[in-house]
Amino acid sequence: MRTDAPSFLAQVMTIVRRDLLRERRSGEVLWVTLPFGAIALLLVPLAIGTDAPTLQRIGPGMFWVIVMLFGVLIAIRQTNAGTQAQRDMVALTGLDPAAIFVGSTTASFMLLLVFETILGIVTIVLYDITPTGWVALPTVLVLAAAGLALLSTLAASIVSTGRSATALVPLLVAPLSVPLLLGATQAWEALRLGRSSLPWVLLMAIVGLLLAVVGVLSARPLQETA
Amino acid sequence: MTANEHRTTVWPWIVMAVAGFHVFVASMTVPPDALQGQLSRIMYVHVPAAWLAYLAFGITMLGSAMYLWKKDLKWDRRAHASAEIGVMFTGMTIVLGMVWAKPTWGVWWTWDARLTLTAIMFFVYLGYLALRRTTDNLDMRAKRSAILGVLAIVQVPLVHFSVIWWRSLHQAPTLLNPEGPSMDTSMVITLLIAVSGFTVMYVAMMFKRIELSRLEDAVLVSEQTSSGPIAGHGITSPDLTGGS
Repeated sequence: MRTDAPSFLAQVMTIVRRDLLRERRSGEVLWVTLPFGAIALLLVPLAIGTDAPTLQRIGPGMFWVIVMLFGVLIAIRQTNAGTQAQRDMVALTGLDPAAIFVGSTTASFMLLLVFETILGIVTIVLYDITPTGWVALPTVLVLAAAGLALLSTLAASIVSTGRSATALVPLLVAPLSVPLLLGATQAWEALRLGRSSLPWVLLMAIVGLLLAVVGVLSARPLQETA
Repeated sequence: MTANEHRTTVWPWIVMAVAGFHVFVASMTVPPDALQGQLSRIMYVHVPAAWLAYLAFGITMLGSAMYLWKKDLKWDRRAHASAEIGVMFTGMTIVLGMVWAKPTWGVWWTWDARLTLTAIMFFVYLGYLALRRTTDNLDMRAKRSAILGVLAIVQVPLVHFSVIWWRSLHQAPTLLNPEGPSMDTSMVITLLIAVSGFTVMYVAMMFKRIELSRLEDAVLVSEQTSSGPIAGHGITSPDLTGGS
């Protein structure tokens, strides 16, 4: 009897379903990370003062900083999620390591997009911000989520199974996420001032593409050493 | 210790001392800057340290790429040694820059693109060194850090060209200026002596650090392969023969 191996897309979807199901059961992003991010947005005005014009000016920047720092927590949950035995089991199923990387990234991307959207609404309400650029703004949100998901998944794959893995991922991701943070904040600023945000959108797209290539190419060697 | 081992242990120290002495003499005999005075002497350590950081991280990238290609741990040791020295020189660059900035700009730190990106580069490579401490498996450690070692090199051109790409308080390249060096010939010569001296020191440090890494790896392998006492080794059966 001959059985056909599942396609790459089917393998990716299997991993996406697994990660989203795990999130539905644990509710880690929705009930822990998201409220944590919202509290951080609430604490900033208490620390620096509640002057409305100042908050309007710093609001978008605060939003992106919190998305980058707290977003890492969303992507690194996979380093805690499985035991070594579970990881070995996934490897033994014969799933393509690149499909596992793409699947994990896609699940993180979807969760990050939800995180960004809800936190964006909280920022608009708390900091009294008027969003502009109804086409460019969603593009920036999508690219930031994709870039951060790729970077965090790659960092989590590099440090997985190591000592202090959970603590190390933010140290690796935070400095390397600077191009994404710059791209997102500068694109937002360009939209606010009525200028073109295209160079910053392109920067984020190029960074995302570079990370995707590195992530896919390094997936197999990383799995072999896990 | 054999005579050969003694030579390999001692000569890097001698080279470092001689190179350091040359840099010191050169930077102290050159006339002070017309505007900055004696403060400008910091440049003869700050600039070579920054150059060494670039070189060290470039070698880390090269060693990492070679490891991924050849799977030979000697390349991993070279990449690691170079990253460690590079982090030290980056830290030195930042601290000396701050010492210079306080009397010149009036602040220890300013949110300039060059300064900020240099600090970020420092943390990226600190992460590289931290990553190496997460496992004792030599192959796993080498492969994982090699991927980061290749990826992290994007920081170097970002730092170097930041003074051109962004409006910067930090001065533009002095020696690598397309219109020629923008300083007095005696200062250029002194700076070149300092850069050469620091490069020689880097090479000597690399030899020492690679040797140390090789010994560390040997100890690690020996610990992992040696057969220690089995579980329950200290437990002996009760002596029942002496009972009444």
